[in-house]
Amino acid sequence: MKYILPTLGAIAATGLFAFSSVSYTANAKDTSSRVDTFKQLELFADVLARVRTEYVVDVDDAELIEGALNGMLQSLDPHSSYINPEAFKRMQTTTSGEYGGLGMEVTTESGVVKVVAPIDDSPAKDAGIKAGDYITEIDGESILGVSLNEAVDRMRGKPGEPITITVIRGEEDPLEFDLVRAVIKSRKTKWEVKDGVGYLRIPQFNEQTYETLEGAVKALKKEFNGNIPGIVLDLRGNPGGLLDQSVKVSSAFLDGGEVVSTRGRRADDVTRLSAKNGELVKGVPLVVLIDGASASASEIVAGAVQDRNRGIVLGMTSFGKGSVQAVVPLRGGRDGALRLTTQRYYTPSGRSIQGTGITPDISVAASADDGKDNHRLSESDLPNSIQNELATEDAEVEIKIEYPPEGFDEDGDYQLDRAIQILKDGSYKTKLAELQ
Amino acid sequence: MKILSRFCLALSLATALSSVPLWGAPAFAQDNQAAEDVEMRKQLDLFAEVFAMVRDNYVEDISDEDLIDGALNGALSSLDPHSSYLPAEDHQERQKNARREYGGLGIEVTLESGLVKVNYVIPDGPAAKQGIKRGDFITAVEGEKVLGKTLNDAVDGMRGLAGDPINVTVLSADNTTREVTVIREKILGRAVRHRVEEGVGYIYIESFNHPRLTDDVKTAVEELKSELGGRLPGLIIDVRSNPGGRVDQVVNVTGYFLDGGEVFSSSGRDKTFTKRYHADQGELIPEVPIVVLINSQSASAAEIIAGALQDRNRALVVGRRSFGKGSVQSIMNVKSEGALRLTTERYYTPSGRSIQGLGIMPDVLVSARPESETTRKRFRESDLKNSLGKEMDVEEEDFDAMVFPSESWPDDEDFQLSKAIELVKSPNLKSQLSAKNTLIRYR
Repeated sequence: MKYILPTLGAIAATGLFAFSSVSYTANAKDTSSRVDTFKQLELFADVLARVRTEYVVDVDDAELIEGALNGMLQSLDPHSSYINPEAFKRMQTTTSGEYGGLGMEVTTESGVVKVVAPIDDSPAKDAGIKAGDYITEIDGESILGVSLNEAVDRMRGKPGEPITITVIRGEEDPLEFDLVRAVIKSRKTKWEVKDGVGYLRIPQFNEQTYETLEGAVKALKKEFNGNIPGIVLDLRGNPGGLLDQSVKVSSAFLDGGEVVSTRGRRADDVTRLSAKNGELVKGVPLVVLIDGASASASEIVAGAVQDRNRGIVLGMTSFGKGSVQAVVPLRGGRDGALRLTTQRYYTPSGRSIQGTGITPDISVAASADDGKDNHRLSESDLPNSIQNELATEDAEVEIKIEYPPEGFDEDGDYQLDRAIQILKDGSYKTKLAELQ
Repeated sequence: MKILSRFCLALSLATALSSVPLWGAPAFAQDNQAAEDVEMRKQLDLFAEVFAMVRDNYVEDISDEDLIDGALNGALSSLDPHSSYLPAEDHQERQKNARREYGGLGIEVTLESGLVKVNYVIPDGPAAKQGIKRGDFITAVEGEKVLGKTLNDAVDGMRGLAGDPINVTVLSADNTTREVTVIREKILGRAVRHRVEEGVGYIYIESFNHPRLTDDVKTAVEELKSELGGRLPGLIIDVRSNPGGRVDQVVNVTGYFLDGGEVFSSSGRDKTFTKRYHADQGELIPEVPIVVLINSQSASAAEIIAGALQDRNRALVVGRRSFGKGSVQSIMNVKSEGALRLTTERYYTPSGRSIQGLGIMPDVLVSARPESETTRKRFRESDLKNSLGKEMDVEEEDFDAMVFPSESWPDDEDFQLSKAIELVKSPNLKSQLSAKNTLIRYR
């Protein structure tokens, strides 16, 4: 199980160290601010000393500092955090070795662990856990107020080990789910032919995503004798993952050019990431499916396709996770690590994804109540989240949402049906031209 | 540049640390102390490093102050649920709010058939001065009809700044309606409610925060005495859902019912320094049987009075096991003009029982509601995440011994109180108390 945030460890951490020397010269402002820093740090040491001498029981210095680091990082935004040495060690085994999990993306909302989306073919999804569920207990023990890191840790374990989680869904009484931890495989891109068009499903962005996408496209080409009439790229419920994979995936549909830029605090801290030349499916009509659980890397792909007028984005407004976290090991990880928000994502036209997400070109709901309560979890709902600095009144423009007709088969997929329809009924070209 | 400045930060932290006298540490422990300091310095280095990293690389500009506020808050709240850091702004705001004076009419009201009914008029209060009496109805406030409003909305309409006049329409018992202008005054509500219940005295103490509590309890006892013809056959002290409050108030109030001796003690990390709090000599109502009512929401000072009267065999404690908040927080001002709320001590009953995490176990277990899964489960201090550890094992409530109301017991009737009245009237109360005495002695 991973967080919704992309694990950009390697890439971003190097970046962080590279520009931190710059930042020092830039920040060596006037002496008054340094005096203030001094005063603040003195205050901190003063308080700690008083706690050490006067607290009712002996205090462990390391625990106290860990509390301070947690408090400092969490006060910034929901995705910044301090990872203690133990958790950092586990995190490293997680990304490299085998571990057992439940297969869902979680976040916190007002201190409560909330499910962003269960992953396809995972214990969580099979058991019936849904996006938006609040997890209140693990094995009968309350996790209210527990940090996200700790909650995730508790859900992990050996594959085959059982776990009971208690979930609150809407107004219903708490529900209990018995699950068995399983190895969460790096999930691959899947392909299918649906109603005469090609269907590609990317469940998350991991190391193998592009490779398996290439294979899937090849298979589709073969299926259609080299002439794919149209492609639906399904990014619904895809919580993101690796940034470089989102750029590669975009390259499959774009012939070079900018995919995304990341910008830090200083104006000169801009990194532009471009697609490689030579797209895989040149000229093939493309519809990208997104929903409220499409986050981060998914939003990058959808945003690039939309801004570059390469295809039509259909579905519901995406999550709005447009910030980049760097994972910075402290003293080689012996003191743990920091997960710090250092940059934001921008689409090629310069739109910030943070908070607002990607608004589809054609808004289509999955079910009659989808989006109606207008309170699907999205980034801007998270306490203390970074606001979108480009948000304007325009963002408030009312969006017309298409709902499935009455009596639509509950097991059907209305969004996919609409995507296929657009590719087949000849309206694709005019619609795309309108959007330009 | 980077290394140097980081070194400076670390250095300044270390200096600041050693400039704070580490008093309380005996001289012979100095070697140990030195080792601890090295560890602390290492930790402060780490903190300074992270601080600089965050400040310089975060996606937005952030102030040093906000970062340190967050850090202090994190450090303090990692200790236990009652320790916290109040940033300068919050602290000042709180102090200002405490000084801001609201005014009221000096009445207590309930809603009856859609109208606001006056239940109690504070003697010499603004309403009393205008002849408003208990039993009057208020039908309109500033010309606006009360009918159809919730009690909260109606009361909100009556609040305002002290000194401001307000027009109310009063319907009296003799069916006459009149308009009255009342000048709002700063009102201190009653600290206690008292009444005669089935021939015995009943005092309800809502909290121990009221500055006039000590006097009000005394007045209440005297009024009950005179109402019952000069002799109290029994007294019920109700501290259910009482969240606690001031130490001086609970010592004084408990002292009314004890002839000197210890009420409670508190001690911090160094157990050799124990503060003991004593009752004054002379009881207010010697020999009068007392029952103290507690529940799972009786906390802190409420547990002190229950624990003291229980340990000293002065009262029978009835109800459910109390909350178990047996820790003392001290508010300390710091350089930032913010403040620290830090747990510094634990409370102990006269027999030396720690209250923290354990609470007070009633002598007679009585539930307010019929038996069920939810009735059994109560939320207490030890259920709080990260709560300060207890020093002894928790004694769980014995549900076999607990008295429950029957399923048909009406919701609006107080079962625990009815049991308390039964017990306080019982001729066996004295022997029950002395039997308890032996129990405690051999425990």
